[in-house]
Amino acid sequence: MAQPPANIVDEVGIALGNLGDAATGVFTPTLRLGVTGLSRAGKTIFITALIHNLLTNNRMPGFGPLADGRLIGAQLAEHPDRGMPRFAYEQHLAALTGKEPHWPESTRRISQIRLTLKFQSGNWLTGMLGTSQLNLDIVDYPGEWLLDLPLLSLSFAEWSEQALARARRAGSADDAKPFLDALAAIDSAKPALDTDAEVLASTFTQYLRASRHDGRALSTLPPGRFLLPGDMEGSPALTFAPLPTPDQAQKHNSLYAMLERRYEAYKSLLVRPFFRDHFARLDRQIVLVDALRALNAGPEAVADLETALTDVLACFRAGSPNPFIQLIARRIDRILFAATKADHLHHASHDRLEAVLNRLVANAARRAKFVGAETRSLALASIRATSEDVIEENGEKLDVIVGTPEKGERLGDQVYDGKTEIALFPGDLPEKAESVLQPDGEPVELNFMRFMPPQKLARTEHGDAILPYIRLDRALDFLLGDWLK
Amino acid sequence: MKKPMARPTQTQTPASEATRAPRVFTPKPGPEIIETFSDAEVLELTPTPQRKRGRWLRRILFTTAGILVSLGLGLAAEQLIRDLFARYEWLGWAGMVALVLFVLAVMALAVREIAAVVRLRSLNAFRAEAAAVLISDKGDAGRKLIGELEVLYAGRADLARPRAALDADTKAMLDGADMVRTAERLLMSSLDARAKALTAAAARRVAVVTAISPRALVDIAFVGYESFKLARGIAELYGARPGLFGAWRLAGEILGHLAVTGGVALGDSVVQQLVGHGLAARVSARLGEGLVNGLMTVRVGIAAMRVTRPLPFSALKQPVVMDFMTDLANIASKGGKT
Repeated sequence: MAQPPANIVDEVGIALGNLGDAATGVFTPTLRLGVTGLSRAGKTIFITALIHNLLTNNRMPGFGPLADGRLIGAQLAEHPDRGMPRFAYEQHLAALTGKEPHWPESTRRISQIRLTLKFQSGNWLTGMLGTSQLNLDIVDYPGEWLLDLPLLSLSFAEWSEQALARARRAGSADDAKPFLDALAAIDSAKPALDTDAEVLASTFTQYLRASRHDGRALSTLPPGRFLLPGDMEGSPALTFAPLPTPDQAQKHNSLYAMLERRYEAYKSLLVRPFFRDHFARLDRQIVLVDALRALNAGPEAVADLETALTDVLACFRAGSPNPFIQLIARRIDRILFAATKADHLHHASHDRLEAVLNRLVANAARRAKFVGAETRSLALASIRATSEDVIEENGEKLDVIVGTPEKGERLGDQVYDGKTEIALFPGDLPEKAESVLQPDGEPVELNFMRFMPPQKLARTEHGDAILPYIRLDRALDFLLGDWLK
Repeated sequence: MKKPMARPTQTQTPASEATRAPRVFTPKPGPEIIETFSDAEVLELTPTPQRKRGRWLRRILFTTAGILVSLGLGLAAEQLIRDLFARYEWLGWAGMVALVLFVLAVMALAVREIAAVVRLRSLNAFRAEAAAVLISDKGDAGRKLIGELEVLYAGRADLARPRAALDADTKAMLDGADMVRTAERLLMSSLDARAKALTAAAARRVAVVTAISPRALVDIAFVGYESFKLARGIAELYGARPGLFGAWRLAGEILGHLAVTGGVALGDSVVQQLVGHGLAARVSARLGEGLVNGLMTVRVGIAAMRVTRPLPFSALKQPVVMDFMTDLANIASKGGKT
């Protein structure tokens, strides 16, 4: 029996929070933008590019409020929640625009930022009142943690069953062997020993870690905090592992009962607050999907990504806006699905990338549409790292992208050093999106490389770097445009 | 399906990498990928009035009449020149030169008229094309459209700056719909504002003339004249430059447009009209008539914008009658005081 992700106490808290927001937001409304994406999907880059483009008033012809001249400007503001780290926008920007541009390090902790947008409404009534303001709240967090959200609706037995089934898949045999061996050596009915739990937890963590490297690129591997424990490392709530469900009820001092208690503690200490504080009260959502990495790894990784996305998105509260219910229950009324890193492909392939994305999020999108939310999907690059060209090879014209691959990236037996610029033809995406999910379908030969960020950036007259992008303006228009009308 | 491959950009030496030559398989014919999500804009309902082809009998009548008239004219001209030569030789030569010049002028005028009509037609086609790009969102089609638009406005000094901005903005763009919207924002906004100003000025003139004209016939004639001038002005503004026949055609299209969308436009502004009429009529019956005639002119202006604007209204709002109410109301208040 699936449990709802929030219990009644949470629900009351969420409703009160919403009511408070509604009261304070009479003059300056707050838009909470949920940036959702598994790890390495490009959340940090997206947020950095969004803030930078808004702050510097970069040319964004596809962003209606700016193109129409309604948007006056944006400013970083202090977040009312003073107990949480601020999103390190300046550091991330410095990494991207410094002397040796590099991608910011992957996110290891949660952070948030508030951006205040100043605009004049085009509506004659609101427009007469002069300029209006809108607060835009964004939260950045490690993508691994997102995988925990589906756990809220799973009991220990259900989760164990899923996790063990995954570990016993043919593809995972090598990675999961130490864990499965350890599991076989331990009897879960006997009285609990901390050492047993530690052995199980450490081998399980190793298996999770091994499954995530690029060659396999698996996504559905909760619990996420095992990979990024932070200060909780070694605490009982982070020392558990899936166990096969016993036939009869277990004594309360058995290993099984202990791990079950720890699993529940993990949920209530770590997962539920994360969900309640950041995901239960969103207005808009962008779901960033790194489809290319999964495509590189093969059909298993793609199917896995699809499952992970469907499970995670089931936790969010979508729905059509209702001004009365809005006071206590906020709903996500617009969801944008974005296939990130679209600059790793020639733009002629973007249609196919979008088709693959649509296939991946089909279930989630259908559910969102059913409850009344508006969805759209597009191929996006928050920061465009490559340019496009056409080269002729053996009398055949190939659409290529030109950029500098990161150190250690390889194609065939050539390994790149992070300095040479190359023209890459990454292969054709399949015509039918369905075939990326079929292991026995026609083999899809693809190789998407990771590229260095743009090395030479144009500057505005104020000296701000101009970050090139693909369709970021369109994404912003869909996510924010109607609040700035 | 082609294999992925990479080449250094500095030295393109494909010879050393013969092992990784791209192979080409014949693509299997499969069903087209259906784009599940697209910015579904409602297609512009621009009626292009289809003229019925004349019956063949009528066609024969007109053709033969045309032949006869040209023959008669030719004969008359020939006779005239012959007579002139008979009178004095130098007079004959002078007449000859005048005739040649006359024929050349007629031909040049005809070419200009035909070009104007073609241009007007191509604006219609252009708008339909732009509407299609807004839906299909194809980058190539959008770029082609932008190129044509730049050719259309190449001679316009007043649009030099927006043209340059458009060039810079669309260079990095990939999606057709974005390009069309950007072009609309950059190029059309100033033209729209001027078209609106023209319309407002014409409506004001019509309202004032109607209010003070001694006879109904005078103001009907004035409304006709102003509407014609307004339509012509707006068409010229958007780059149509209609000649004599082009203007006739334009008038026909505008009338057709008003006939089709009149009901729709009525829906959004009938209340204002009634209110305007009622209030103004209470002040003075003539003023009320003036307002109604002014509103009619506004309609003509809006219809002319829709018919001659090369891009459909998508990013910018289409003007409605309500936008011009303040202009007319000013006259009413001034008229009320006197």
